[in-house]
Amino acid sequence: MFAIAQSELIQVFRNRLVLVTMLIVPAASSAFYMYLHDRIPGLDLGAVAAVLMFLVVAMGLYTTAVTTLASRRQNLFLKRLRSTAVDDTRILSGLLLPVTAITIVQVAVILTVLSVVADPPAELLLLVAAVLATVIMMLGLALATAGVTNSPEHAQVTTLPILVGVLAVSGWVGFSGTEEFSLVKRILPGGSAAELVVNAWNGGVAFADSLVLLAPTLAWVVVAVVLATRVFRWEPRR
Amino acid sequence: MSSTATTPVIDVERLNVEYGDFHAVKDLSFQVQRGELYALLGTNGAGKTSALETVEGHRAASSGTVRVFGQSPRDRAAVRPRTGIMLQESGFSPDLTVAESVRLIGRLTQRTDRVERLLDIVDLTSKAGIKVSQLSGGEKRRLDFATAVYGSPELVFLDEPTTGLDIQSRDHLWHEVDRLREDGSTIVLTTHYLEEAQQRADRIGLMHRGVFHREGTVSELTRTLPATVRFSLPSSAPDLPLPATRESDGTFLVETTSLQKDLHVLLNWAQDRAVELRELQAGPTRLDDVFRSIGSEQNA
Repeated sequence: MFAIAQSELIQVFRNRLVLVTMLIVPAASSAFYMYLHDRIPGLDLGAVAAVLMFLVVAMGLYTTAVTTLASRRQNLFLKRLRSTAVDDTRILSGLLLPVTAITIVQVAVILTVLSVVADPPAELLLLVAAVLATVIMMLGLALATAGVTNSPEHAQVTTLPILVGVLAVSGWVGFSGTEEFSLVKRILPGGSAAELVVNAWNGGVAFADSLVLLAPTLAWVVVAVVLATRVFRWEPRR
Repeated sequence: MSSTATTPVIDVERLNVEYGDFHAVKDLSFQVQRGELYALLGTNGAGKTSALETVEGHRAASSGTVRVFGQSPRDRAAVRPRTGIMLQESGFSPDLTVAESVRLIGRLTQRTDRVERLLDIVDLTSKAGIKVSQLSGGEKRRLDFATAVYGSPELVFLDEPTTGLDIQSRDHLWHEVDRLREDGSTIVLTTHYLEEAQQRADRIGLMHRGVFHREGTVSELTRTLPATVRFSLPSSAPDLPLPATRESDGTFLVETTSLQKDLHVLLNWAQDRAVELRELQAGPTRLDDVFRSIGSEQNA
């Protein structure tokens, strides 16, 4: 697994397009949000944290993971890896480990900067749980999306619904709260995770009440994994 | 003999591979013994890639059993450390260098070897540091071969290994295959170059439309068809001493199961009557004749 992860890391740093998508775009977008925060008084810090996290995870992790898997399948690299002694779980883990690690580092750095320039989160553990649950959910959705993605170019289309969807949901939940349409907001992908980030950052909600919000996110993980096991392909369609 | 020595390396029994309504492989059964070079040949669309990929473990059988080293080939952890696979298409990551690619796949096979040795075998030492995307098609095939033989596996699948290779590269490749065989490795080969199979295979399975039409050694396969003698004659030539058919281009064709005896009769006849046998060609049946006969049988 680590041999595959090492080779993926090498490729990430050699492929300018992936590097730009994964590092510069989320970082620049995050800097823009921070710029706004300084200039808009009363901006909900929890909401900003939620949107920032989803921006990085959706753009940095989700789209890159889908593009990577589609690309590796298209050039038969997945088949090549399956010619070795490594099992499928380790192949996928190796392929996705670098981008996942980079994303977690990015989120950690950005949220740390946010906590330094504004206020720190009220419930750090809850925030960590929310970030990890979101990362796992987006990885599951990436696997499922990769199953219906024929090529890296095709990924630009197939990733759009979930990319736009989770960003919209996180913004909607973050900035408007969950007092209205609470059920809808919580069951949409990313909704409960965004609420969890808001609660973790702003505080004021009982720990146990917030922890329940992990359930819908984990349910999406299950849905995504079930979908992925049905639609994920290791070789190009012939 | 120990049981390990007598157990076939590959044991395929009544294998069927289906894609929806299409039956790609039908009731295929064969065994490959330790140290053999077994060639799986076939016409286009014969089902050999489906059969091979099922034996390799890339594909699940629709029915039937496939055992490799006595295990299911789908059990990668058990089978793949002992197996090298050269795919029909390369499947390397274009952004990795040649040396990185060999090292990566080598590490994943769980065997040990030296990357430099393998690059030397396939004559890619000078390209060790360049990206795979910059290799030619033939160089990618050589890289593929290097990863397949990493750590000298006990069983090597070679799927059209010499396609796109120049003569020198082919020689290097076969030299390494010979070395592996000397060390006891078993080779399963598919190729469109029949002369390679004829020259190197211990046994051959000939597939057509999903089934084996013939299986055996080269001599067993070619024995099923007569040898041929071809020649042309001047118009005033007397009657031939052997039954012959006249081809559309005017040449005579003698089919025989006793080539030496009948050729002797023909040459004596020509000598005694001072007849010149022009463009005389005589030879045993070749594998491509057997191959052609499969299509003829189907069309008949």
